[in-house]
Amino acid sequence: MSLPITMGWRQPMASHTPAYNPVPARQTLVMSAQPLPQQQAAPSPDAKPKKAAWPPAVRAYVQRAFEPDNAIEGVSSAEMETKLKQTIQYFAELNFLDQLDWANYPLPQTIVQNERKAAAAAAVAAAASVVGNGYGYANTAQANHVLTSNGSANYISSFSSPKSSKKRKSSDMEALNPDDGTPPPWRKTNNTAFDTRETHSSGKQEKRQKKNEAAGGNSKFNQADLEKRKQRFQTAKSGSRSTPPWASSRNDSDSEPPLPAGPVVGTNMTLEKSYFRLTAPPKPETVRPQHVLEKTLELLKKKWREEKNYNYTCNQFKSLRQDLTVQHIKNAFTVSVYEIHARIALEKGDLGEYNQCQTQLRALYAQKLGGHPGEFTAYRILYFVYTCNKTDMNDLLAELTPADKIRPEVKHALDVRSALALGNYHRFFRLYLSAPHMGGYLMDLFIKRERLHALANISKAYISVMLRFLTDELGFDSDGETQEFLATCGAQDLVEEKVTEKGTQVRVILRGTAAASIFEHHRAAAFKTVDIKGQI
Amino acid sequence: MEAIIEPFRRAHASGNGYAVSALLSPVAPPDDAGRLYDFYRASNEQQIEPEIRYALKYSKSSRISPEESNAWTDIFVLYWKAVGEILAVEEATNQGRLEDRIWVAVYDAWKALTDSIQRYVSNGTLPFWAVVCMYHAATNLRKFAIKADEQLASTKGNVTFNSGFQDDVVDSLAKTEKLEEAARLFNRMFALCLGDRNPDLNESRKWGTYYMANLQFKTYFKLKTINLSKNVVRSIEAQPDLPPLPLFPKAHQVTYKYYTGILAFLQEDYAKAEVLLTEAWSLCHVAATKNQELILTYLIPCRLVAKHNVPSQDLLARFPGLQRRFGPLVNCIKGGDLTGFDNALLAGEEEFVKRRIYLTLERGRDIALRNLLRKVFIAGGFEELKEGQTEADRIRRTRITLAEFAAALRMDIGGEGSGQVLEDDEVECMIANMIYKGLMKGYISREHAMVVLNKKGAFPGTGV
Repeated sequence: MSLPITMGWRQPMASHTPAYNPVPARQTLVMSAQPLPQQQAAPSPDAKPKKAAWPPAVRAYVQRAFEPDNAIEGVSSAEMETKLKQTIQYFAELNFLDQLDWANYPLPQTIVQNERKAAAAAAVAAAASVVGNGYGYANTAQANHVLTSNGSANYISSFSSPKSSKKRKSSDMEALNPDDGTPPPWRKTNNTAFDTRETHSSGKQEKRQKKNEAAGGNSKFNQADLEKRKQRFQTAKSGSRSTPPWASSRNDSDSEPPLPAGPVVGTNMTLEKSYFRLTAPPKPETVRPQHVLEKTLELLKKKWREEKNYNYTCNQFKSLRQDLTVQHIKNAFTVSVYEIHARIALEKGDLGEYNQCQTQLRALYAQKLGGHPGEFTAYRILYFVYTCNKTDMNDLLAELTPADKIRPEVKHALDVRSALALGNYHRFFRLYLSAPHMGGYLMDLFIKRERLHALANISKAYISVMLRFLTDELGFDSDGETQEFLATCGAQDLVEEKVTEKGTQVRVILRGTAAASIFEHHRAAAFKTVDIKGQI
Repeated sequence: MEAIIEPFRRAHASGNGYAVSALLSPVAPPDDAGRLYDFYRASNEQQIEPEIRYALKYSKSSRISPEESNAWTDIFVLYWKAVGEILAVEEATNQGRLEDRIWVAVYDAWKALTDSIQRYVSNGTLPFWAVVCMYHAATNLRKFAIKADEQLASTKGNVTFNSGFQDDVVDSLAKTEKLEEAARLFNRMFALCLGDRNPDLNESRKWGTYYMANLQFKTYFKLKTINLSKNVVRSIEAQPDLPPLPLFPKAHQVTYKYYTGILAFLQEDYAKAEVLLTEAWSLCHVAATKNQELILTYLIPCRLVAKHNVPSQDLLARFPGLQRRFGPLVNCIKGGDLTGFDNALLAGEEEFVKRRIYLTLERGRDIALRNLLRKVFIAGGFEELKEGQTEADRIRRTRITLAEFAAALRMDIGGEGSGQVLEDDEVECMIANMIYKGLMKGYISREHAMVVLNKKGAFPGTGV
């Protein structure tokens, strides 16, 4: 029983430790209805809130965990259960239940034990370093707490505030909750009115957290949502275990998990991982180190070439970016990840994601980490052409150095800009056909608009033109495409076929104001709204 | 202590905000260069507060209420501290060793002073004329914020990386943290002036509105968050009981019109911009040549695009800066010299971009092109006189082959050594543009490779 140790840590003033033997005191009906942990059978899969059918391997694993032969002394069954739950939840969230080799995966009690050993070693080192600085209790006892911190949510919540009646109610409610870790025995024991009065000095510290939890329990959210949320925070909490004991000893009274002092160092070796927005510092075991991420990038590139599944790829790239971020990796590899994601997003016209990458790249290029700044500067220019954002364009022009301006991609983009500024549609469509890299995809965003603009222009300056002239000038692939485009504008009536001795001539008659007004109308509409997503 | 409190008492008694504000200046007056130093040396951290409190409270002539006296005590104590930091910078500059955060310290101290003035003005402890002190403090705060930001940027670089657990690597590109902070304070001050409900206009804080608005414009332009300026304009326009602009000091009027003119200019509302900038121009003080030059910097491109007007040589001659900036461009536009225009634009690009007039000036090329084509038209001469027609009926040749225009353009931009090849289709495209923009009247006939121009007013507004 880890009670004395833990209590000793919770309350360094040993006077608060109950000087009596824990006796199962008055318990509510509900409490006693709960099976004692020792007798508790393996929770049947049906009891899980998620009514998922667990794979047989997982069932077997759970079974083994509860076998008395496998019990390890010093690891309470409650701790074991919590760990077990965490393990399964963790892999379930990653959709990894099927892949994991459950037969060889260490049992929860073993994990707990190993973690203790590791943390104890860390604590000893820490104790050596903090000697004499007033944190004298950085000893094994404290280390033990750190290890059990996964159970601490339950543990802490068992402390009652002076308003005992209300508190108890909510803690009973928690006990009712089937998924809540079964309260360890000392918890029930100490949770008497007497003890409440005795220990509330320390209980006060947990009051806020207690309150929060109680509030959560009474709120309008349905049980499933709540459960999900709770799991998320629990996983997150155990993630903070990686923080050194000395950091946690100062923060332990705060309900917030301490922010990691430095970057996380990942230990996850799987190549693929779905994106999941973090609400707390990540666990090292969920984060992939750079050498794994490099393989991931290769895999994603290959998959993208073969399958072109954008949703999957985007999701994977986001988790890849997240892993880079939490590990504070900023180097040429980071740049290439963002560049590739930006290109893929461009190809699929996902401007939101593209803009996010572009913002990051801008800052990364400023660090001179390599990559292709010229190419992405060109994209920025084209993007501002698309959004017609004169102010931003001006700022961008102000940033460009003479060296930037002679890079071929940048020069192309600047030419596009100036051609449009001067209304030189002839040159613009030539540039469209010769756009380098992914520039064409960006130009696709405003090509229709510029065609309408050119048509409005032509319709005022000519009386009639050959259809072929429009096809050539406006960069269409074929006369048919031109005709189709005219039809979508409602200008199909302007097309006239004439049979002459030289063959059939297709002309577009632009005489009169009708043609001009059609195109002018469409042009005005096209320029009026530019949909801007995720723009900085 | 009396050296500063005595003039304060006098200024306070006469209700002269400008005089009080001058006493709270971060720069010593020219006739008393040692004032800051003397003031700072006259006391110390421990003594300053009781000394000022005593001087303010127990003077015979004092008619200051206790609350107000407390407020001024606070303000002068903070001023004293700020002066200490300012003197430290001065000393460090003289010795040539500026420490890392020395300007930040000045900024922080001055911010504390500005904050407290704002607070006391806001809760009505100080009389209405203290608004002057408030906005002068704010003006100086802006200067210190810029200095502090410059220093911060040079010491720690300008990219902050994410230290939390967000998705992306870079947190912010902020390099103007202090100025942004100051901008928020300015906004509070602006709201305070604008929203004053004192029914007596003589004692209203509303008179500070335009001053604060102008300061905000200035700050937002510096921060490159120009869009925020629109909120300021909107709040002013939505305030029904604000006294009309002509009643405000001329300096406030000119600056306000100048900035709103630029805002319209940047939104390409050249008609509105022209009106506002012209008003600013005509209200501007005769001796304020720098301001006049600033106004013209925007008014000239504005007129060029909106009215196809170029400034006269006389006007440019009065402002050497403008002559240098716009002289070559104007000459090329007049002469229809496209290559010269492009070169002049390129030469001035950096400055034009900085002033945000590059993209507008670029459109002046249309006028240069129009002038070139017009030369071709004039060179085309006149139609033969038909029977019965007199010299007065003589009309110009209005059918001009594309080849003629192409030749002119090739002489100009496609000439040898330019490296540019001008295709016939591109020539057509340029002419089509002229027609579309109304700079030329007529149509292009592709079959005959001909441009058919109107018999009258082929080039509107140019006399032919």
